[in-house]
Parts: sequence; C-alpha cells; structure tokens
Amino acid sequence: MTIPKEWAEKYRPKSLTDVVGNLTATKQLRSWAEKWINGAPEQKAVLLHGPAGVGKTSTAHALATDMEWEVIELNASDQRTADAIERIAGSASRMGTLVGMESKRLIVLDEADNLHGTSDRGGAQAIGNIIRSTGQPIILIANDAYGIPSSVRSNVLEIKFNALQTRSIIPALKQIAQKEGVMYGAGIIEKIAENADGDMRSAINDLQAVAVGRSEINIEDIATAERDNKDSIFKVMERMFKGTDAKAALEATYNLDESPEDLIHWIDENLPIQYAGEDEGMITGPIRKGYEYISRADLFLGRVKKRQNYIMWRYASVLMTCGTVVSKAQPKRGFVKFNPPSLWRRMGQLKARRNMRNNIAAKIADHCHESMRYAGTDIASIYSVLLEDRDYAPAVVAELQLDLDELAFMAGASKVTKKLQKIYDDAQELRKEKIETEVTFFKVKEKQKINEDQKQTRLADVINNKGKGSEEKNGNNEPIKENNKREEITKKPQKTLFDF
Amino acid sequence: MRLDDVVGQTETIERLKSYVKSRNLPHLLFSGPPGVGKTATAVSIAKELFADSWRENFTELNASDERGIDVVRTKIKNFAKTSPIGGADFKIIFLDEADALTSDAQAALRRTMERYTNNCRFILSCNYSSKIIEPIQSRCAVYRFRPLSDDAVAERVLFVASNEGIEVSTDGMDAIKYVAQGDMRKAINALQAASLVDNIVHKDTIYKITATARPEQITDLIDTALSGNFIAARKLLDELLLDQGLSGEDVVGQIYRAMLNISISQEKMVELIDVIGEVDFRIAEGANERIQLEALIAHFVLKGGN
Repeated sequence: MTIPKEWAEKYRPKSLTDVVGNLTATKQLRSWAEKWINGAPEQKAVLLHGPAGVGKTSTAHALATDMEWEVIELNASDQRTADAIERIAGSASRMGTLVGMESKRLIVLDEADNLHGTSDRGGAQAIGNIIRSTGQPIILIANDAYGIPSSVRSNVLEIKFNALQTRSIIPALKQIAQKEGVMYGAGIIEKIAENADGDMRSAINDLQAVAVGRSEINIEDIATAERDNKDSIFKVMERMFKGTDAKAALEATYNLDESPEDLIHWIDENLPIQYAGEDEGMITGPIRKGYEYISRADLFLGRVKKRQNYIMWRYASVLMTCGTVVSKAQPKRGFVKFNPPSLWRRMGQLKARRNMRNNIAAKIADHCHESMRYAGTDIASIYSVLLEDRDYAPAVVAELQLDLDELAFMAGASKVTKKLQKIYDDAQELRKEKIETEVTFFKVKEKQKINEDQKQTRLADVINNKGKGSEEKNGNNEPIKENNKREEITKKPQKTLFDF
Repeated sequence: MRLDDVVGQTETIERLKSYVKSRNLPHLLFSGPPGVGKTATAVSIAKELFADSWRENFTELNASDERGIDVVRTKIKNFAKTSPIGGADFKIIFLDEADALTSDAQAALRRTMERYTNNCRFILSCNYSSKIIEPIQSRCAVYRFRPLSDDAVAERVLFVASNEGIEVSTDGMDAIKYVAQGDMRKAINALQAASLVDNIVHKDTIYKITATARPEQITDLIDTALSGNFIAARKLLDELLLDQGLSGEDVVGQIYRAMLNISISQEKMVELIDVIGEVDFRIAEGANERIQLEALIAHFVLKGGN
C-alpha cells in the first residue's frame, strides 16, 4: 500500500517555474543565484520574507533543484545555539571554497525570525558571522523581516513575498484536483481559494480535506472552518453597535472563534466612530460610557493574563459586549463601516521601533557598563543630545558603533539625511584611525574577555569592513600588518572617549 | 468510543469519517470550547484507523503541561521521526490545548509537521484558533467544534444511561443539563457519580454531588436582595455557604449565570455583572467569601431599590 501523502507536500513546486505567484521575487532570487556561477556575489545571503503559505520555503528548495545545489537546512525544530549553527551551517559554508569544486551547497535557515532567546543563545550572532564569511549561498526565511536582527539584515538582500491573489490560487487548485482524479462542481474551487486569503498551502490543505474519500466535490461539501472569519465578527459588531439586546450580542460571541483579548481591539477601534455625534471630534455620552465599560473589561483581561484564571474572561466578555450595547440610548441611523483594529496593522512598525530601541540600548549599555533598561531610559537621551552637536556626533557614533539607521533613529529623523550620512562617514573614518592606533600602540595590552562574544564580533565587523583601508595605508609596514591580523580576534576597541 | 458516538458535530464527523475510510488524514486543528468532543474525536480517529495497535501509534501530549520549545524539539520531534508500528501507515500526535504552547514552541513545530508527514500526522486542539500562529493554521485543516446544545447533551446522557442500566428522571435530566452547561464531560461525570448513589437519577443527587445550588435557590436569593430585604437575603446566602457547604466561587458563578435571565434593566444587569466579577476576583485572591458575597448582596439591594 502506498503511503498517503499530504498534498501540500506532494505538490510542492519542483522548479522555480512551478512556483505560483510572486514573479518578481522569484526573478530576483534567480538572478542572485546566477551570480554565484561566477564566484561569490557581493551579497552572499538573501532573506525571503512574507506571510505563511505563499511559497518561501518551497522557492528556496526549488531554486536548489534548478541550480543543482545540495541543500543544508536548519529550522526552528532544530536547536540553534551559536555552537549548533556554527557546527552545521558554518562548516558547510566554508566547504567547497577550494579551487575546482563547482557545485554549491545552499544553506537554508528557515524560520530565522524565531530564534529563541535562551534556547538559541548566540544564534543570531553566529548567523551574522556565517553570512560574512561564507563561501556558499545562504537563504534566510522569515515571516517578519523585523524579527531579524538589524546587524544581520544589513548584510542580506531582502526579497519580499506577498500573499497570493485568489485568481492565481484557483488554477493551481484545479490542476491538483485533476491530477488526483477529483471532479469538482461549480464554485467550490473558487470558494476554497477565497477562504485561504492568499495562503496557497492552506488552500491545498482545504482542498484535500474536502476531497479525501470523494471522487466528486461540491460547494456544500466544505466542512472546514472558514479561515477568515471576518463575516462572523461583523455580525457580532452589528449586534453590539446597532442592536439594543445585550443578551443577543453576548450570545452572538459564543460562536465566534475570537478570544475576548482580540475582540476588545475590534470594539476599541470602532467605538468612537460608531457612537460619534454630529461633530466627529466631540466626545459623546455613549463614547464615554462605552470606554468606561471596555476599560473595566480590559482590567479583567489583565487579571486573566496575570493569574491564568480564565473564568474572568466571562466578565470581560459581558462588559465589552453588553456594555457597548447599553452605552447608547438608541441606535444611530445609517450605516458606518466597521474597521479591523488598526493596532494590528501598526504592530509590525511598533515591533521594528522596539527592536531598534533595544539594539541601541544594548550598545549603550555595553559601552557604559549599565543595564540595558537604564541605558534605554536614562542614558540614551543624553547621547541623543550629544548627537545634535556636529563636533561630538561622529565620535559618539564611532564609540557606540551605531549603524546608519540607528543614528537616524536617535537623531529623531524620519529618514537618512545628507547631514546624518556625513556624520556617519566621519565616524567610520574615526573608527578606522582608532583601530589602527590601537593596534599599533596597544597591541600588548590584551584585555581578558569574559563571555563577551558580542564585542568580539563587532570588532571583527569593524576590521572586516575596514581591513582593506588599513592594509593600503600600512602597505609598506609589514610588522604592523602582522600584528593587525593577530589582534583581530582578541582585542576590543579601547573605550575612553565617552565613558560617562 | 467511535466517531459515530460524538454528538452535535455532524458535518465535521462526517468529513473525518471519510478520512478514516480512505486511510488518509491531513493535519487537523480542532477549535472549540471544552467538553464538546475534541479529544474524544481525536482518540476515535486513532482507534478506527489503527484498530488494535492504536496505542502504539497515538501519542497524546497536553500542551499546558509540556509547553516549552524543548518539548517540541526533543519529545515531539523524536516521536514524529520514528516509523509507525504494526503495519500502520502513519502515527498520530495529538497536542491537546495547543494554544498553551508558547509561540516559540509553535514556531518550532512548523517544519516538523512538514518533514515527517510520511511518518506522522498532527491533530491539534485549542479553544480559540486565533491563539495558534498563522503558519501552523496554514498547515492544518481547521474544524470548529460548536458548543453543544442542551438537547445534544441530553441525547448522549440518555444513551449512556440506557447502556449502563441507569434511569434518569425528567428533573434529573434538567439538573444535568444545568450543571453541564454544554460540556459533555461534566454531564457524563455527573451521571456516573449520581448513578453510584442511586439507580434512579434525581435532581437533588445531581446538585448535591456536583456541589451546585439548585437554580431556584439562586434566583430566590437574587430576587430577595433586589426586593430590598438584605437580612432575608443574607439568611439565604448562609444556607448555601454554611448549611450546604458550597464554595463562594461556585455561588458567585451561579449568580453570574442567573443574571442574564432576571428582570432588571440591561444597564443595571451589566453594572451588577461588573460587581460580580470584582467579587469573584477578590475571592480568588483569598478574600473572605462570606463578606464578599454579603457586599455583593448589598449592591443588589441598592440596585433593586431605585
């Protein structure tokens, strides 16, 4: 008996030409891959990022097949400490750099945005190192590009995958159905494709779910839940904002596959719009009352979170749904559209800012020997002030080893201006000089490092970036060059300038 | 227990039966409230697929006990890797309460689900599918289990009772439905416990063994308080707490349930439920349940008295 296979696996694209949708992305990826034929390109790693089920992993593997590359994969199901990454991916990345070895090994780091803080300690650093030193192509895959440390992102070519169009999912599903010998009635494939909301894998899964054991499928056969339950949430919203029956509103939530924690954001988003008076800016009685109720509801949600006491959810539910109903005297006439929570849309941006803030705080903390928390809350602002001074700024950037984005963030600029670029360039000059001086004059004073891999990497960064320059300058000075190499690994920059 | 025995989820069960018949199973995600048949369904699938060797090929992990990333990377991965036993085509890993898995652990599960499909299928259960990360949902066929109606509960209770030779009186059945609140597990447990006391199941036995106040005691308490008689209401409360030995939390829960059906304005209802929640929270935090409940009654007196 043949082993039944998951269709989503069985019909994974074998070649880049089989990948559905995302044409630009696959084209970009192919041209990157082709550069490898003539040796390592400038960007040795790419980052494929985008929502679930659009073909990121499939594309990576299909590319390897097309290029006849061997694949080494490391994903979140593997432990990914610095050691593990170095052992598996690191050694692979250096193999085959010898002359004469033609075929490449593709290193696929799947789910790269899910490095675990403690279980995968040092993993991000290790990835950064491998990307810099690799002789082999590397593909990083992530849902959220912001989940990748900026130090890694700055060294990769980012390729974005988008959710698929329903109309490109439909023919693919039909093809699979034909290959599996399943007849399909009118509309069912379209319905499945639509439910999938741009996620090819879930579309295939839903098709299989409905088709298993049947030779013909029809639209009424779909028993899997709708993946996108906007319809049902809009019904609940209607009951709350337009209805007058509190109990009916509460009961409508029972069939909703949305926890009170999510529902409250829907209400929060729509309350001030739905209950607005003539003048949109004015706070009306119903808005004030409504917020009173949802803030009480929120308090109960907080209690659930803190104590894991899920019984409290029922009070939160009543307060937010029934509370919203009773806040108004009578329903407003006319239809006002319901909106999904804008907070979720902004979550990505918020996360990026938070990551940025944390990265900066880490650099300051490192430099000032303070906790990250204190560095972030109390010291960062002082450095921001110093950055306003054109004379100090380059030194600050050099000392903290800020990258261009971080500099812009600290200076409160929305984008990189010419002025900031100049500061950054000056800082690079400063750093170059500094390292040369240190290497020349302080080479004997090796500082003992205790578990500070981070600094080690950073120095390596600096030297890798600036190595060329220093060699040129010291081209006639053999001993210094020698020292330079020996010091690379162990020495860290001397810190004096801004040690507060 | 077979798939046919799962009540109240007709469409879902029909579909699952055809998976079993064709011996082909996608990864499944069951979402729904407790006691509606998610675990029973998962176990039934395994039994029907694997017959005698179902125990060897079915692993159940309760994610709320083992929720960290390490479990996913070691225990689950190892089970998924190894071949099925006794001629089965694949094994099944059932992750109960998968919404308790940390999101890191869920992330670590993704590729494991794909890489070992030759060996193994996953069934995940959760209360809300929104707690399961998108990439996992995308790998599963999602089935929503509906809350059970009282009729569905009654149907199954009658079936079990007749199999076990137990008689259930009409008021006994009402009591079971009240206690169960759509949770089949609670209903069957109550039935079993009551049957040990007496061969005919009456409402008093059900309320007693489940430490539940009779619904009319609760409405009586609420009405008395709303009518403005604090002292009389407190006496009724003492009966529940002291004479019947019910816990404060259970009484609060029952008062909450009664609220949706009492005759006061909706606005007052919401305000009182807010107070009930507050009292529930304080009791859970270790406050004295009698004092808290008395304070609650006082609120009812004020609200009732315009």
